[in-house]
Amino acid sequence: PSSHPTQSRNAILVSHRQKGNPLLKHIRNVRWTFSDVVCDYLLGQSSCALYLSLRYHLLHPDYLYYRIRELQKNFKLRVVLCHVDVEDVLKPLLEVTKTALLHDCTLLCGWSLEECGRYLETIKIYENKPADIIQGQMDTDYLSRLSHALTTVRHVNKTDVATLGTTFGSLSNIMGASMEDLARCPGIGERKVKRLFDTFHEPFKRVE
Amino acid sequence: MVQFHEQIITELLDDPNGGLVILSSGLSLSKLISSLLLLHSSSQGTLLLLSPSPSLKSRILYHIKEHNPEPSQIPSEIAADLPAHHRHTLYSSGSIFFITPRILIVDLLTNKLPTSNIAGLILPNAHSLSETSTEAFIVRILRSLNPDAYIRAFSDKPHAMVSGFAKAERTMKCLYVRKLHLWPRFQVCVSQELEKEPPVVVDIRVPMTKYMMGIQKAIIEVMDACLKEMRKTNKVDVEDLTVENGLFKSFDEIVRRQLDPIWHTLGKKTKQLVSDLKTLRKLLDYLVRYDAVTYLRYLDTLRISESFRSVWIFAEASYKIFDYAKKRVYHLARSDGVKLNEPRKSLKNKKRKFKGSDKDSRETDGTPSTSSNAGLVLEEILEEAPKWKVLREVLEEIEEERQKQVISREDVLVEGEDNGIVLVACKDERSCLQLEECIINGPKKVMGEEWKKYLLSKVKLRDIAQQKKKPKDPKGFGILDGVTPITPAQNAKTSSFSKQEHDALLAAASEIRNQDEKDNAVEDPSWSEFGVQLRGKGKRKVGTRETSAIIGVSGDYNVDKKASTNDQNEIYLVEGEFYETTHDGTSVGKTIFRKHTNSDTNQARNTKPLPPVHFYALENDQPILDILKPSVVIVYHPDMTFVREIEVYKAENPSTRLKVYFLFYEDSTEVQKFEASIQRENGAFESLIRQKSMMMIPVNQDGRCLGLNYSTLEPDLTTSQNSITRKAGGRKEADKEMQVIVDMREFMSSLPNVLHQKGMRIIPVTLEVGDYILSPLICVERKSIQDLFMSFTSGRLYHQVETMVRYYRIPVLLIEFSQDKSFSFQSASDIGDDVTPNSIISKLSLLALHFPRLRIIWSRSLHATAEIFTSLKANQDEPDETKAIRVGVPSEEGIVENDVRAENYNTSAVEFLRRLPGVTDSNYRAVMDGCKSLAELALLPMEKLAELMGGQKAARTLREFLDAKYPTLL
Repeated sequence: PSSHPTQSRNAILVSHRQKGNPLLKHIRNVRWTFSDVVCDYLLGQSSCALYLSLRYHLLHPDYLYYRIRELQKNFKLRVVLCHVDVEDVLKPLLEVTKTALLHDCTLLCGWSLEECGRYLETIKIYENKPADIIQGQMDTDYLSRLSHALTTVRHVNKTDVATLGTTFGSLSNIMGASMEDLARCPGIGERKVKRLFDTFHEPFKRVE
Repeated sequence: MVQFHEQIITELLDDPNGGLVILSSGLSLSKLISSLLLLHSSSQGTLLLLSPSPSLKSRILYHIKEHNPEPSQIPSEIAADLPAHHRHTLYSSGSIFFITPRILIVDLLTNKLPTSNIAGLILPNAHSLSETSTEAFIVRILRSLNPDAYIRAFSDKPHAMVSGFAKAERTMKCLYVRKLHLWPRFQVCVSQELEKEPPVVVDIRVPMTKYMMGIQKAIIEVMDACLKEMRKTNKVDVEDLTVENGLFKSFDEIVRRQLDPIWHTLGKKTKQLVSDLKTLRKLLDYLVRYDAVTYLRYLDTLRISESFRSVWIFAEASYKIFDYAKKRVYHLARSDGVKLNEPRKSLKNKKRKFKGSDKDSRETDGTPSTSSNAGLVLEEILEEAPKWKVLREVLEEIEEERQKQVISREDVLVEGEDNGIVLVACKDERSCLQLEECIINGPKKVMGEEWKKYLLSKVKLRDIAQQKKKPKDPKGFGILDGVTPITPAQNAKTSSFSKQEHDALLAAASEIRNQDEKDNAVEDPSWSEFGVQLRGKGKRKVGTRETSAIIGVSGDYNVDKKASTNDQNEIYLVEGEFYETTHDGTSVGKTIFRKHTNSDTNQARNTKPLPPVHFYALENDQPILDILKPSVVIVYHPDMTFVREIEVYKAENPSTRLKVYFLFYEDSTEVQKFEASIQRENGAFESLIRQKSMMMIPVNQDGRCLGLNYSTLEPDLTTSQNSITRKAGGRKEADKEMQVIVDMREFMSSLPNVLHQKGMRIIPVTLEVGDYILSPLICVERKSIQDLFMSFTSGRLYHQVETMVRYYRIPVLLIEFSQDKSFSFQSASDIGDDVTPNSIISKLSLLALHFPRLRIIWSRSLHATAEIFTSLKANQDEPDETKAIRVGVPSEEGIVENDVRAENYNTSAVEFLRRLPGVTDSNYRAVMDGCKSLAELALLPMEKLAELMGGQKAARTLREFLDAKYPTLL
């Protein structure tokens, strides 16, 4: 029903029900406008969010269920944004978790209005973002890659990587080093020596 | 066997239910346990020994074998790869076995263990237990199935038994034992026995050099400054924040325990302070352990690897650490001989330029250089560790005495009584190697070698720089992706002091290298030859190494003149109490000790003869005294545990003569730490004695301990047996027993234990997808907060969710907060104004966007998780074990591999492999099939790699990465 479709595509559409919710003050990085939507916040073509304060849930335990039912099957991502604003969370959070989980909703918890607002902003902004920042792609320069590999061995830290690098000169030399040579490196104690040595020399497959 | 061990065992056997024994560290827990094992006979049933550390294990085996035991008394190992029926026979055999908690709990849960055949359980590290740990889980199940089995728990880390509220009492309850036996060193029986015929003790205090003192002072100053900063954060209890506490590893624990509940709300600065304090403590420790050159090298690497984040490097006093450390190694002088006073300012500049380790951030600093451009020349100082000289003197003295004895007694040399073995005990293998070299070749040579290594590590840099100047040869020197280290060429304009210093170092280094090359051609390389070419204060002459070495060095060397001589040595009698617990168990188990006997040539070369010496690293944790039976022990690095071991050894062998030398640095933190450790242990025991007097252990009518939460726990345990009669009316879902399929690896965590307490049946299997299968539809991946952050960064979580979504209708991510940490990611004030990619909010949002079907559970604690699982399972079918196992198992050409088990892989090697460039998800299996280990991979030629990796390009990427030269930074 918005008169400016281009504008509303870049904005969060907020249900009139949310009027007076102090959360709205914290949506600053994205534009938002009131609109007639069935969810509380329409965050994209097929993603929406319902806002629930745990305190409110304690007073109206059935509210969440009815709101979820209203959504029907129109959205791919259905977020229940839960504001954790009570001290004793165990029981109410259990109920909310169960309702969300069994009715195809993704539960996100925020401990402050700022945090809740930030989730709404982020989901809107990241609507079309690729997942590479959570796919573990790291820096591609030699040192980062080397320490990325060597730090798979438990307790080996960046300093140790530098020590190993300067001592042995290259990764293949490190991998072929004897226990004694490894033990001579300052800062690399008995246990690290053993872990490193085992990683390099124990077969990949323990049992054929 | 010492008498007090006998007493401990008698008292322990008194109670058929078992008990908990806490004794001072060093009072030979291994001997105590092996004596106990020798009392075992197979008619009693099978005895299980739960997960001792490898070194404790080998010690126990050593002591047992000393006593000609029956075969059934020698413990063997129950390993995971034994087939199930084989394990079953072993469990029924009545012998003694080592077993890990993970195997034991899985076998208990899958009924592979005939509990009625179990005589009892021995737990050698009671201090690491808690109510929710797997050991407690095991004991609970074992007790419910076989109430007659005994539980005997031990700990020789009393200070760990007093951390947290009433820990001893809680440990006893979760072990279902009611007797606590305390055996401190100061216990009457113990001290009487150990002090009856004490060894002869010589306590030598070695003064540190001026610079060492300076560095120590500076480090403590910086530590103090860091601690003051910490106090300002108002987040830690001020009382604990003392430098004294900061000397111990346990300090990190104190701080972490207080900060953990709010860790994720802390600012970067506070977190950095915590890690800085750790670094500083290491620096203090290394100061007395490493030689001057190695110490400088370590500082250099530290500066490269952590400069841009850490606070301490920029602290006021830090420059002194670097400055003095350098002054212990070399001076700079102008070539005309005028000595330079290093301007402090330039040093700061030097520090700043290392801000980035991987990019050239060297600044052109404005410090004007000294007017002459004659350049700087290095003057070697190469300060030797003062203890080296003292050690030498002590050894000479020992030899002298021995010679005298030989003369006086001529042919009556009773070998058995005094075998003349001298043992030098150091903390680490490295010190051992170095001291050995010191004794063989003399300290000068050792320092020279270290110095050479140090310089050579710098010269590599210049090579790179020179090759860089040649156009278009980017691959010749193996720096990938165009990352080049700081090159002097690029700084040609800077005429700063640090530049000159840099050049001087390089000049010295290249001289050494040139010399080296020459030496390769010429016979008998001798480093001292080129030492002359460097302007050294020490008037070393070519070829005089052999005569001038070792003794009399201090004369023409710039060693601190205060270095102690024999007359200055103060001699004390030691009261018999000491410390140090840094080595916590693991050992290489291969090289037991290093033996060095002076060959004749060496003898001739040295000015005075030395006795044969054995070097031993305390971190190897072997029963060295029993193996060697030395008559002289030199404790090079004081260590409370080892000192006690000496006492026990002496008490066991009252007839042997034993002389012990202690080498302490005077007024050092070494001494302080040693003394504090004794006090700390005594304090722990006093507190335990108090706790014991007030303990409340609930027992039933048979006098058996009821354990923890016995009132709430009891019905849960019995649900499986008689739930039908108990819950007769209504409540349908509780009638049938709930089942959860749990991944084997999850038994490291406590959740299976807690789920079982809730009355669920736990089915342990190896899962390829997910950690917990609640129903045919619900699959859960559990992440603790720390895991969550880490696996977001590594990309693991994305991958795991991807597979879960592929195979299950309801894939669930469980975010599990810890009970004693805060239930939130961050405080409102930390959220910031903008949407940033690194924030956890962004990552979770992105995850939700990419996997809209993923469900998220936010759990306050373990117990809350158990609660949620129960309610989720309420209307679901029970999960199918065989199906769950097959899910996601990689299949090739439709064949399901059933034998892909996590424990059958060297997981860190596999992970390592997968992180190498060129290795992908699709080719890493082939690489693992085609070569055995990483070490082998390192040697494979290109062609073979290309064959395995399915392509030249991938193979070249990998080969180049493996052989790339590590860029060296000055």
